[in-house]
Amino acid sequence: MIESYARRRFLQFSTAALSMQGSLRAWEPSILKGEDKWVRSVCEMCSSRCAIEVRVVDQKPVWLQGNAFDARMHSSICARGLSGVSQLYDQDRLRTPLMRVGQRGENRWREASWDEALAFVASSMQRLKQNYGAQSMLFSSKTGESFDLLSSFAANYGSPNTFSHWSSCPIAIESALEQTFGERAYRDFEHADYIVNFGHNLFEGLDIPLSKAMARFAANPSKKLIVLDPRFSIMAGKADEWYPIKAGQDLAFVLSLLHVWLRDAKYDHAFVRRYCIGLDALKASLKETTPQWQERYTGIDAKTIERLADEIYRAAPRCILDWGHKATTSPAEFQRTRAILIANVLMGNVEKKGGIYFAKTPEMLNVLLQEPLFPLLQSPYPAPEVGIARIDGAGEEGSAYRFVPKKHGVLNAIADAILTQQPYAIKGWFLTRHNPLVTVADPQKMRTAMASLDLIVVNDIYMSDTAMMADVVLPESTYLERDESIHLHHGLVPSYTMRNRALMPLRGTQSLRETVRSLADALGFGDAYPWKTMQELRAYQAKGDSALLESLVKRGYVQATIPPLFLREEASVRAFCERYAHVDLMRVSEMFERRRKTPSGKIELFCAHIEEAFAGYGVPCAVDMDVQHNYPYTLISGKSAIHTNAHTQNVPYLHALMSDNPLWMHPSTAKAHGLRQNDTCYIENEIGKEKVKVFLTEGIRPDTLFLYMGFGRQTPLLPKIDRKGSSASKLLPLKTAPVCGAMITNTGVRIVRA
Amino acid sequence: MAKKYAMVHDNNLCIGCQACNVACRSENKIPESVYRLQVWVKQEEYPNGSLGYEYHRQSCVHCENTPCVSVCPTKASHVNEDGIVLVDNDLCVGCLYCVAACPYQARYVHPVTKAPDKCTFCHESRLSRGEEPACVTVCPTEALVFGDLNDPKSKINKVLSERVTYRQKERLGTQPKMYIVPNHKGGINS
Repeated sequence: MIESYARRRFLQFSTAALSMQGSLRAWEPSILKGEDKWVRSVCEMCSSRCAIEVRVVDQKPVWLQGNAFDARMHSSICARGLSGVSQLYDQDRLRTPLMRVGQRGENRWREASWDEALAFVASSMQRLKQNYGAQSMLFSSKTGESFDLLSSFAANYGSPNTFSHWSSCPIAIESALEQTFGERAYRDFEHADYIVNFGHNLFEGLDIPLSKAMARFAANPSKKLIVLDPRFSIMAGKADEWYPIKAGQDLAFVLSLLHVWLRDAKYDHAFVRRYCIGLDALKASLKETTPQWQERYTGIDAKTIERLADEIYRAAPRCILDWGHKATTSPAEFQRTRAILIANVLMGNVEKKGGIYFAKTPEMLNVLLQEPLFPLLQSPYPAPEVGIARIDGAGEEGSAYRFVPKKHGVLNAIADAILTQQPYAIKGWFLTRHNPLVTVADPQKMRTAMASLDLIVVNDIYMSDTAMMADVVLPESTYLERDESIHLHHGLVPSYTMRNRALMPLRGTQSLRETVRSLADALGFGDAYPWKTMQELRAYQAKGDSALLESLVKRGYVQATIPPLFLREEASVRAFCERYAHVDLMRVSEMFERRRKTPSGKIELFCAHIEEAFAGYGVPCAVDMDVQHNYPYTLISGKSAIHTNAHTQNVPYLHALMSDNPLWMHPSTAKAHGLRQNDTCYIENEIGKEKVKVFLTEGIRPDTLFLYMGFGRQTPLLPKIDRKGSSASKLLPLKTAPVCGAMITNTGVRIVRA
Repeated sequence: MAKKYAMVHDNNLCIGCQACNVACRSENKIPESVYRLQVWVKQEEYPNGSLGYEYHRQSCVHCENTPCVSVCPTKASHVNEDGIVLVDNDLCVGCLYCVAACPYQARYVHPVTKAPDKCTFCHESRLSRGEEPACVTVCPTEALVFGDLNDPKSKINKVLSERVTYRQKERLGTQPKMYIVPNHKGGINS
């Protein structure tokens, strides 16, 4: 019975990749040569988590490529992903736990055994808990498995203070989606005819499936791509039209676009009437935001806005205004992102092919198909509610950060909370895969705050600026050395991925899971975890679904083969119902009629509860758009295709490609300051002063300066990258964007001659 | 029938991300100080004042009429039966005539073998395993197409029949087997 159930269900999963080249290899791991084998896993060189295959020869990973079981990948992988092997064998990796012997940050260490280091961490955490309460410990991690694990560890220890990287990255988008739709939305780049891109630089911040879709789009002469970016990025270079918009002024552009549509009654009337609330408030808010009005903010002329408004609307609904990924550019970030979402809504592109759509979750599909065809997972990382308010007030009624998810918190609030010891004593910080002294605003202040803590524990594969401040540095295994749990990915079709290790950990490193599990035992809450080994963890998570597990061990990636379902696309709904004859057409269409998870149950053009807490923020309007603060220039920053924001700079292959980040400067700006190519100068503001090398380019506005992220490090133990290049973070104020609590990544600076 | 391997580099799809560069280094164990393949991203200002990026693939173009082979006194530089230009290290006397003769600056002296080295279309590694060259396999945007010009059904012949392509320094008569689809987009500055 069980067997037949499993077999029937697995017919649901993709076999498409098997017909592709290399299919034999997929089923016969060792068909190539005696010692060759392929392990399928998930990349961790950046946050995109692409599906990968690792070629292992004589137990050594030698080559990485995309995992074709994810058909969107083919065998593609980026420079970072390929460098996983280079990172694995990098002699500069941490090999053994380090314990501080000098002053904090003094860079004097001794090597310690795992037992000694973990015993020290456990006893220190126990002492802090007794003296100050568990809430005196902070926990932070990049999102992903390590964050889920660490959050669970924090909750069981008794601290509510968990921080992900969200508030320094995508939180404005997450927040705007939540408040507008009550859930995440996704973009169907593949079928769109027209895309307006606000600096979502998929050609430098690579995510293979999305970047590939965007490349195909941009190279197709019958499609149109508009890019607004103060800098001539690679993305801008692929555009049909590039507008070097003034930094942080996307909102003004979108407000005028919306103004034109509403003025001319160009919007999907039936859709808005039926599914949205707040049109009148929106109309009232946009009365003055004319194309002429926006000229002085964006530098784009009114006629262009009129033309684009017309073009874009004519392309609807196969048209997307792309809200981007990491975009936080101005204090009005929540408004900017909401305005973009609302532009999509007015075009009526929701649940349309080539527009935007919501996740088709396993739960939803199981209900629709009246059969449990798609596996549901249970979390192996229990995180009981902690009944104590967070240091930043995230999620607390009455707090400035009431709309920030409790789980993710506000990184920019940490330094002040430590320095003032408010709202209560803060004494310790456990960080994993997180380097806030590089990625968070005002690291100078953060460093001072960290210096006053009693305990800092850093778990990482390399020494980092943050680890320099630690009491204990724990050497972690890289992703190629780690088995991990199953991840469910939402989208048009659910998919499951699992990280499978390609080799045993090198040099006595261990995974965060092992570290946390033994600390939990030492701290007396080991029985919170219903597993000890990875096998037990996976089995628990999959609820004993061995077919799913087996498939994920072999393939690393499993995707359902249901036809893509756009609920408001008649042909798509019909195709779905043809495939599943027992499903009623009406029933599928009605899925879109359900109550949304917003306070009103509808798509909210106007959010009453936001307006109540933040006057002027309930509906898109022109607020808080200034990022220059009377300085002559705006400093902006962004990703390169070579490095991540803080992690990869020491990886040998990548370091050889890019070891510095000169400041992009327009020749006219340089001339005004008597600067030439490769000259050294300073940029400064009230937060900091940073030495930069000049890179002259026409590809940036004269009033804007640009730095790639991740440089200007202070890591003496990594001499290759120590003090090379410049860091934009050192000039960012701690002020956050209202509502969402996002770090603001554009700031005003002046240029000072060296 | 002998093969005639060639490659297409589509400038519209290329994003200069260097995945090909790292793939080549990883697969062929190229020392850090040298390279077989790089993509040079060049910001261009076009005559109409607009900006654009050009993506130049800097590597061996596998000429049919090969200056590097013609000047080699020992036949170390040679073209194999599949049209791939190779160096036989055992025959090489290190005169470096080939390095000087190459109009594409595709050759370097390998710091370990001291012999000239260059792109081999991964002949010795991947092709022999039935795989495509490393750069083609990994390209995130599928900007590279590799195949056999002698096979009328090959994907590369399909691409060459559908797209306008050119080759670098065609005027020299070297007949490279590296075809480039020119960029049709630049940034149109408002």
